[in-house]
Amino acid sequence: MTDASLPAQMIRKEKVKKSNRLIEYIKLMIKDPSAILGLIIVVAFLGWSLIQGTLELFFGTTGPAIALLPHDPFSYNLPMHLHPPTLTYIFGTNTYGEDIWSRMLYAMPRDAFISILVVLSAILIGGILGVFAGYRGKFTDETVMRITDAFLSLPALVLVIALSVMFDETLSGVILALVIIWWPIYARFFRAQTLRIKNLDYVQAAKLNNVSFTRLFFRYLFMNSLDPIIAYAALDFGNVILTYSTLAFLGIGLEPPIPELGSMASNGVGTLPTGWWYAIFPGLAILVIVIGFVLVGDRMQDIISNRINY
Amino acid sequence: MDSRTIAFIIRRAIYAVFTLLILIVFIFVLIHVIAPNPISLAKIYSGVPHGSLTFYAAYAKTHGLDAPVYVQIFTYIINIFKGNFGIDPIKDQPVITLIGKYLPRTLEFVLTGIVISIILGLYTGAYAAARRRKPADNTVKGFYLATWSMPTFLLAAVLQLVIAYDLRLLPAINMVDPTLRAPPDVLAFPILNALWARDWPYLISLIHHMILPTLAIALLSFGIITRLTRSTMLDVMETDYFRLTLMKGVPRNKAIYSVALRNASIPLVTYIVLDLAFSVAGAVVIEEIFSYHGIGYYIVQAIYNLDYPAILGTTIIIALTIIVANLIADILYGVLDPRVRLE
Repeated sequence: MTDASLPAQMIRKEKVKKSNRLIEYIKLMIKDPSAILGLIIVVAFLGWSLIQGTLELFFGTTGPAIALLPHDPFSYNLPMHLHPPTLTYIFGTNTYGEDIWSRMLYAMPRDAFISILVVLSAILIGGILGVFAGYRGKFTDETVMRITDAFLSLPALVLVIALSVMFDETLSGVILALVIIWWPIYARFFRAQTLRIKNLDYVQAAKLNNVSFTRLFFRYLFMNSLDPIIAYAALDFGNVILTYSTLAFLGIGLEPPIPELGSMASNGVGTLPTGWWYAIFPGLAILVIVIGFVLVGDRMQDIISNRINY
Repeated sequence: MDSRTIAFIIRRAIYAVFTLLILIVFIFVLIHVIAPNPISLAKIYSGVPHGSLTFYAAYAKTHGLDAPVYVQIFTYIINIFKGNFGIDPIKDQPVITLIGKYLPRTLEFVLTGIVISIILGLYTGAYAAARRRKPADNTVKGFYLATWSMPTFLLAAVLQLVIAYDLRLLPAINMVDPTLRAPPDVLAFPILNALWARDWPYLISLIHHMILPTLAIALLSFGIITRLTRSTMLDVMETDYFRLTLMKGVPRNKAIYSVALRNASIPLVTYIVLDLAFSVAGAVVIEEIFSYHGIGYYIVQAIYNLDYPAILGTTIIIALTIIVANLIADILYGVLDPRVRLE
């Protein structure tokens, strides 16, 4: 073996090892039946959101955007109003005779989009501030931590309501409000991780090697703090969907005529003794989606913290 | 109380004041970012969305909204500590009076629900931990995962549908039978008022209407308490002193429910605050569904009317409540468990 081929082989070995780790990870993941259930729910939800979301993005509310749905979610059908669930309308119809299942399917991509956007921005903002606080320590650390304290000691929903009302109750205002509320917990996580790893040998070695600050920051500190945070983030998608649907229930951030799971439930509560399917099914859909994320997140946390050894 | 405890309490108190100040400054900055000039500021503070330009100009002048920012922030903070949150333009009363009227109604059923869920959650958590990885544990786990991931409105709607509409056991909406006359407002809390005035029919009607919201709060926070208790119990059951208790020949059930659970419930004080924050947010939706006129109802009305003074006032009051509760819990925790003070 010549010297020149050695690094190349090492690189190749590294790659093989990495893919093995991912496969191992997925194998561990699907050993638990509840995690499989969670994975199925999450994949189905995200897959559907991707397909339907793309169609909605390009075609709006007509044509191909509603071609995949069992019924047209926007056509009034007054003779069939508040029709109980049957084979044609599996979750019944609402007060205008619109099919509830089609409207739920139409609403889902938006929840997926918002949860992904909010969690990713929160990871980015919280990550940068948290790593910075943990790395610099002292006054920076104290300031950032007191600010996160202030946010974390309050019920998120109340603050989100106050902020989104100040942003005029628009959808983009709601997303902005959610991001503002969501980053502190990630700043906390990243800070704790950074404190743990900033004195490890490889970081010191990188500093001695004169690695630029940006590179040290993102490649060495940020990326290496990410592992346990991803497990929490998986669970957190569900939390964002819950909070967003609660806001929609209260009538914040709606864009009529686009349906929203929370606002459908809110309209359904108004019809309650008779139209129970209108109030219950959109809520159940949220419950199922959130449980999917919680099961996946729980399992990921177990794997990452090495709580299972089989 | 030694000097270390006192230093600990003082440090916590300073943190609490800081937290509140940061929050107030944040809200102030936010208002000024979305409303950069005195006229739009007047629009927000006066709570009148469609007034005339002269009205806004006059309002800005009388309330000092054209003053420099550093003057404004001091007046803002001082006003908050004086309890001056402005006038609610719809009810035409000071926001603080309205909060004083609505908040006790919410606390009444939220606190009752929390007490119930703590009693239930502690024992279910201990029960699940004692039967770790057995069917009973998995059932409890499934149950708390479900209540935890459930949107509050689904929980409240199901309760209302099944118990109030289908079984007709309890009234579905309202806080009290509207045909009854309210007793004089002496003690702020409606139940205490009814007790004070010895108005038994009113009291019974109040309790009758309170059961469903309380149940919803209890179920909502049951998940958190059970989950926390279960994980703390699992930690305690790994400790040496617990093993020693078993080795001494103390029966397993007694060891679990009186030795381990007693130690596992020290963090209880922190759970209560966590739970209070969680439940107050849940109460907003629960009150909307049961038409229960508490602080949540007030918030929802303010959302519909874009009533800024009311929204800001309630947010700060709720923040204050939770920060004070947090402070008390921190201090209690430090007193109960001396290890915490050594951080």
